[in-house]
Amino acid sequence: MNFHAFARPRSWPIARPRRRRQLISLTPLIDVVFILLVFFMLASSFLDWRSIVLAAPSDGAGAATIEGALLVEVRGQGLRLSGRPIGLDELEIRVRARLAENPDQPIFVRPSAGVPLQRAVVVLDRLSAAGAERLSLIRDRAQ
Amino acid sequence: MKLARPRAGRTGREDDRILPLINVVFLLLIFFMVVGSLSATDPFPVEPPRSINGEAGDPKDVVLLIGEDGRLALDGAEITGTELEAAVAGRLKSAPHPEVHVKADGGAEASAVIAVMETLRRAGAERVRLMTVSTE
Repeated sequence: MNFHAFARPRSWPIARPRRRRQLISLTPLIDVVFILLVFFMLASSFLDWRSIVLAAPSDGAGAATIEGALLVEVRGQGLRLSGRPIGLDELEIRVRARLAENPDQPIFVRPSAGVPLQRAVVVLDRLSAAGAERLSLIRDRAQ
Repeated sequence: MKLARPRAGRTGREDDRILPLINVVFLLLIFFMVVGSLSATDPFPVEPPRSINGEAGDPKDVVLLIGEDGRLALDGAEITGTELEAAVAGRLKSAPHPEVHVKADGGAEASAVIAVMETLRRAGAERVRLMTVSTE
């Protein structure tokens, strides 16, 4: 086999285009691209948003809806499940067991006065990790 | 070591030297355009609560902002608590699945946030999405 047959002949018809003097300089282009880059770097946000779906709490959520529901109280000192103090890990285990029996189990989370939202979100987070789907936030009526 | 001095006067050669720079800058530009999401700035700073679980998704459509001090803003415009119910009801009237995204500050008092959610319920919202930011 003659490899020299594939060699490029001296007088290849498509010669490299001769470099012509450019009419437009690239410098203004780079300036604009840099400005765009800085704009997008400053204006864009990279937050990884999540959402917890809650059934909207209603004022009329009286004794009728609360009956049969699990009530998780978030207090300043700790958590209470149906009135008894409980830890966060134990809460998850207990709720998981309840949901295994009844997957439609509604769960109400009631933060006390002065509890920041972040603490309530930590509890909601654990409950949704346990598989709770009917989550609601309710307010302490006594206040 | 002898370094060849760059020849001045030949613009073509000068451009050749900055072409890799332009390539990199273009790539960065496209990266930031595609990955980052542009969003209108909030009228007041809100530090959303952190969570591990939850569905992924950006806040969209009807977004209610709740500041640490209880200030409210509906879709970027500040609003008072008394106007809120009528404004949300107007926004949700034609929606098939009335839903409000609540972006509340993690340091806000939980019962104050729930009081606002009760107002949303009265305004016709069936579901409330509490927006959080992933800790990972």
